[in-house]
Amino acid sequence: MAVGMLLDLDKCTACRGCQAACKEWNDLPADSTRQTGTYQNPPDLSPTTLTLIEFQEKEVGGRLGWYFFNKRCVHCTQAACVDVCPTAALQHNALGFVSFDRDACNGCGYCAEFCPFQIPRMEMLDGFQGKAKASKCTFCQDRVTNGIVPACAKTCPTGAITFGDRDALVQTGKGRVAALQSRGKTNARLYGETELGGLRQMYVLPETASFYGLPENPQLPATLSLWQGGVRPLGYIAAGLTALGLAFNWLTARKLAVARATEKEE
Amino acid sequence: MEDRYVVRFSSSERLAHWLQFVAFSALLVTGLFIYMPALQAFTVGRAGEASRVLHRISAVVFMIAPLIYLVGNPSAFFSSLRDAFSWSADDRAWLSKAVAYYTNGEVSDMPPQGKYNGGQKLNAVVQIVAFVLFVVTGLIMWFGKGSVSPGLFAFSVILHDLAVIAAVSLVMLHVYLVTIHPLTRESITAMFEGIVTREYAQEHHAKWLADVEGES
Repeated sequence: MAVGMLLDLDKCTACRGCQAACKEWNDLPADSTRQTGTYQNPPDLSPTTLTLIEFQEKEVGGRLGWYFFNKRCVHCTQAACVDVCPTAALQHNALGFVSFDRDACNGCGYCAEFCPFQIPRMEMLDGFQGKAKASKCTFCQDRVTNGIVPACAKTCPTGAITFGDRDALVQTGKGRVAALQSRGKTNARLYGETELGGLRQMYVLPETASFYGLPENPQLPATLSLWQGGVRPLGYIAAGLTALGLAFNWLTARKLAVARATEKEE
Repeated sequence: MEDRYVVRFSSSERLAHWLQFVAFSALLVTGLFIYMPALQAFTVGRAGEASRVLHRISAVVFMIAPLIYLVGNPSAFFSSLRDAFSWSADDRAWLSKAVAYYTNGEVSDMPPQGKYNGGQKLNAVVQIVAFVLFVVTGLIMWFGKGSVSPGLFAFSVILHDLAVIAAVSLVMLHVYLVTIHPLTRESITAMFEGIVTREYAQEHHAKWLADVEGES
């Protein structure tokens, strides 16, 4: 079974129960923050905040609305982070989500830099030594692999976060989008069904993706294919050809040594 | 004895070169751990921690080595630097005949060379450019992680790798020529004792030999 989660933003009341449950289950401390005039707190994802409700007040169709967005790793099928991770700390679990092994992470930071959603956060432990650990939502890998629902989905009181078989969630999501559209939310869409090979955490978006700060059509960064598809093979080819060329040269050149030696003797 | 040998490199030049060699080798090995997926085992746990720290220590040595050269022998530093970027027709002609020369040993064909031949100049230019790229992109990745834009970081990773590819290819050639190739391997004495035979200088660096002997 491929598991998934459906994040139905229309049902989210921004109670932030998911934030608290995530911290509690993953044993993460509260971030020390300052009041900046918004309920959004902490202000952004951090190494100790893996899921965050973003608040924004926006006028849509002449009506002021309060919009909530559940920001977290969406667990791509074509995951840039898995591709670039040199230690395999980030991997695709058999259940489909992107697992994270903190012990294996060497803190290189590639995942954070190549993620199309800019989700992973680096916890700098020693900048001078370059000691760091990446951090992101793990899909509650320790719960899910033992047959338990992720902490956020378990705690969500409104059904805005549901966990289950991904195919079934796609159907649920489509139904929810149709319902939203019939209510006049013409921009509503299901986000993540096919994006980047299919996201494991899909959104029911009442408004457009960019309205919530999501890329409308997320792509693997061009630098990623340039690096992994171009530069890396180029390195093997260059080193291989150089070694081959030198080996061939040696086959003919070693005769020069003999020729020279005889020349000198004469 | 004095007539048999010509002094080629001062002690500070040799010290800088060997430091650079050791640092470069350590940087290459520890860098390959995250470049080659096959070496993934060395990126985790104790080995990963050690290689990360060793890469940074080596990077500092790598950056200091040219300064030792600069402080220890400023006149050689600047004249070599000028040399590397001033190409004569002889240098270009030498380079175009280099492959045939190293394969068949046709010495008589080769245009006379100064202290550095066309190949050495090419190597120097590439290594200097690569050095600048290593330092700039390396410092960005070392101290800018998490604070520079993702695009700049990704660009740095790519440039760092391209610099490695250019530098390593030429270092392989350089090491081959000074340790294995029958026509040039005797010149490695220049990096150990600082001298080469007069005969070697005459064959490979005739213009330089004339300069040196003209001075004394």
